[in-house]
Amino acid sequence: MVAGAWICLVAPLAAACLITLGGQRLSRRAAGWVATAACFVAFGGAVASFVGLLTHSASDRQFVSTAWTWITGGSYQSGLSVLIDPLSTFMMLIVAGVGALIVWYSIGYMDGDDEERRYFAYMSLFVFSMLLLVQAGNLLLLLAGWGMVGLSSYLLIGYWHQRPSAIAAAKKAFVMNAIGDATMALAFFLLIQKGNSLEFGVLGGQFSSTVANLIALGLLGGAVAKSAQIPLHTWLPDAMEGPTPVSALIHAATMVTAGVYLIVRTHAIFEQAPKVADLAAGLGAATLLMAGLIALVQVDIKRVIAYSTMSQIGYMFLGAGIGSYPNAMFHLMTHAFFKALLFMTAGIVIHALVDEQDIRKMGGLRQFAPKTYWAFLIGSLALVGIFPFAGFFSKDSILAAAMAKGGAYGYILWAVGLAGTFLTGLYTFRLLFLVFWGEPSAFVREHFHPLGRDVVAFSLAIPVGVLAVLSIVGGWIQFSPWWHPVETWLQIVAAPIVSPASWQEWTSIALSLLLGLSGIAVAWALYGERRLAVPRVAWAQRTLEHKFYFDEAYDALFYEPAVYLAKLLRRGVEQPLIAESGQDLGDDTRDLGGFVARAQTGLVRTYALAIASSVAVLAIVFVIVR
Amino acid sequence: MIALLGPEIAWYLGVAAFLFATGAFGVLLRRNPLIVLLSLEIMLNGANLALIGFARNLGDGKGQIFALTVMAVAASEVVVGLGLVVALNRKRITLDVDLLNTLRG
Amino acid sequence: MLVASAGNVLVWMVWIVAAFACLGSGVAVVSFSNPFYSALALIGNLGSLAVLYLLLSAEFVAAAQVLVYAGAVMVMFLFVIAYIGPRSESPWAGGPSWQAVGAVLASGAVFIEIVVAVGLKAGGQLSHSEHVDGTFGTPAYIGRLFLTDHLLAFEITSIVLLVAAIGGVILGAHSRRSVDEVPSL
Repeated sequence: MVAGAWICLVAPLAAACLITLGGQRLSRRAAGWVATAACFVAFGGAVASFVGLLTHSASDRQFVSTAWTWITGGSYQSGLSVLIDPLSTFMMLIVAGVGALIVWYSIGYMDGDDEERRYFAYMSLFVFSMLLLVQAGNLLLLLAGWGMVGLSSYLLIGYWHQRPSAIAAAKKAFVMNAIGDATMALAFFLLIQKGNSLEFGVLGGQFSSTVANLIALGLLGGAVAKSAQIPLHTWLPDAMEGPTPVSALIHAATMVTAGVYLIVRTHAIFEQAPKVADLAAGLGAATLLMAGLIALVQVDIKRVIAYSTMSQIGYMFLGAGIGSYPNAMFHLMTHAFFKALLFMTAGIVIHALVDEQDIRKMGGLRQFAPKTYWAFLIGSLALVGIFPFAGFFSKDSILAAAMAKGGAYGYILWAVGLAGTFLTGLYTFRLLFLVFWGEPSAFVREHFHPLGRDVVAFSLAIPVGVLAVLSIVGGWIQFSPWWHPVETWLQIVAAPIVSPASWQEWTSIALSLLLGLSGIAVAWALYGERRLAVPRVAWAQRTLEHKFYFDEAYDALFYEPAVYLAKLLRRGVEQPLIAESGQDLGDDTRDLGGFVARAQTGLVRTYALAIASSVAVLAIVFVIVR
Repeated sequence: MIALLGPEIAWYLGVAAFLFATGAFGVLLRRNPLIVLLSLEIMLNGANLALIGFARNLGDGKGQIFALTVMAVAASEVVVGLGLVVALNRKRITLDVDLLNTLRG
Repeated sequence: MLVASAGNVLVWMVWIVAAFACLGSGVAVVSFSNPFYSALALIGNLGSLAVLYLLLSAEFVAAAQVLVYAGAVMVMFLFVIAYIGPRSESPWAGGPSWQAVGAVLASGAVFIEIVVAVGLKAGGQLSHSEHVDGTFGTPAYIGRLFLTDHLLAFEITSIVLLVAAIGGVILGAHSRRSVDEVPSL
């Protein structure tokens, strides 16, 4: 079990090193196989850990395996340790499993690219970093994994580095993540000062209310940045500049869910700071609503799915914020399945249409790529939460938990969540109808080329197929009113603090199903067979298209003042003080020298006079002194 | 043993001081380098006289040895100085110390 | 001061003549416009100095003064002055205005200071001179001193003279390079 966990962690790192060091000796396809194999080995290790944990009784499922003591400073100590407990194995299985499938898919997707090896090295590095994050035995190692996933994200978003838009998007992602890293670091400093430890246990210690709030706030900042919630969300849509498998793995299934994992892992401190937990839930709710609205006007197929991700993570934040940790994690799992599925099918569509991503040019693909259509349909239904697909089981529990929280705030969250369900149905099926239904557009007729039956096609098709199956059956693992093994599995690590009653569950299920179906219906009316005319509200349209002006606001609030300050400093400080001071120093020295040089007349008589005068003066001095 | 006849040493020293001052005056005032060198000789001779005077006053031969050395040095310096003047003259340069200022800083 | 004797009076008279000749020729050296006249005045100066040296029992030095200084150095001076040609210049003309004033002041200050300094420091000593024997100042005496106590000075003097001789040859040698190569002053 312990060995399984270590193998799970190290295998992708070994793959990354191997691909990097192998260089040109490894063929591009071979690099892909190495990465895929490593991820499957990691999955095997995760399964081994999971099985190993199962053999222990429920109360005995926490093992820490330390490789060596990493940092010692005074009384503070941190080890390079790996934690094997229900939550971490849960995440390990998701990350390694979905990761392996996506890396396999990438072999087909990235086929023909010049720098495939670099891609697979980065992907392996990412899988390793994410596993490090979820397996970390203490907060310090978690932070290390946290930073490394940020780095991998940057590297992979900017993978096609000849595109300026990709580079800009990578920088934007990294900078916004860095803000989160900074708040997390501050929280850790407080923890070290007050608790002298960064082990997970220290979070349960007694802190004063202010300190607990500050720590929780810092951690929330990091989670918000990593998971692209308001207000640090603007990087996620731009991150779609990366290749589609990157979007699938990093910006749908795993990295962006790290924020949720963090909150669940550190739930002890959030329980000590209920206001911050409420803030987390509120941010999640706001994000899910806003992202859903923006998704209605997006015309890039990947951007719609990206905003959908943002919205669904809003659900997870909502769940984690109100204390329903197992449900949030369950939704994380199902979301990983169907979101990765959606991205991968979108990738197949993009590839088939020679890298075209504008949905206005698409249409009627149902006839050209039926299997792709079915996969996308499955993913969409799972996303909206229609029975019996995966999302149905997970999303509704969160809504029920919001209801169970009670109070005005709880019901507000519940209402927002329901509204989000309607929006989810609307935008998801808008996408489906626009891309797959209707008459095939001219563009499609001209450019569509189907997949063959070669390795590339298999590597594209099989992972999609596996995920489609998981999206169908994956949710059945837990149906809150009747059976809930996930909750049982996770509750020793993060016991939920709200337990919805049975009637709350059923009410939520019924209402969300209803709203989801009505969303689909409206989408069908607007975008399906019979297109209804919709009155256009110009300002609303504009606001949505500008993504609620967040980018413009950040530009005005942060970027422009910074640029102004920088220019001011350059003009006022750097130029005269630093750049010119060197010049001025030289000039002044030369002037001083020139001034002194006037004594060097070159005339012998002057010098002789000087000597004589000095002798005269010195003679007086000597006589007086001696 | 012979006593010193005539004026005391102080008179000789007075002459020596006057010679020295006169030579200094000439060095500082004149523009022809040859005359500057001659004035320099005057100064050196003034110093020599002082040395010989003190030698006689103290009955010590060191002063005379010193004076002879000074004489040798003066001769050497005259050689070099005159060599310079001759070289300058050969280059058709005006012999005026006020105009010889190429070494100005 | 007044040791009345015929020898004393004679010495006084010789001294007065020699001293005034010395001072007068000294002033003449710095005053003449014509360098040739200045050189001749210097010869007179050297001669009178030699007389003063004799009065001070420095026979060898006096002889060396006449032979070396007046005989060789001044001859060299006269050769060069003749070679360079006639040049006359008024002593007071030319140069920066403050130069003349400065020269007067500086030299005056030097004179006064020497007198004062020597008077203050050595005044008591100067009133009585040592009695010396007849060998004082003779060539044998000087020679013995040079070769025993002051051998280093002797050797160094010879080196200085050698260097000067070499320098003189170099400075005076005709250069074989063309005029263009040598940068002008």
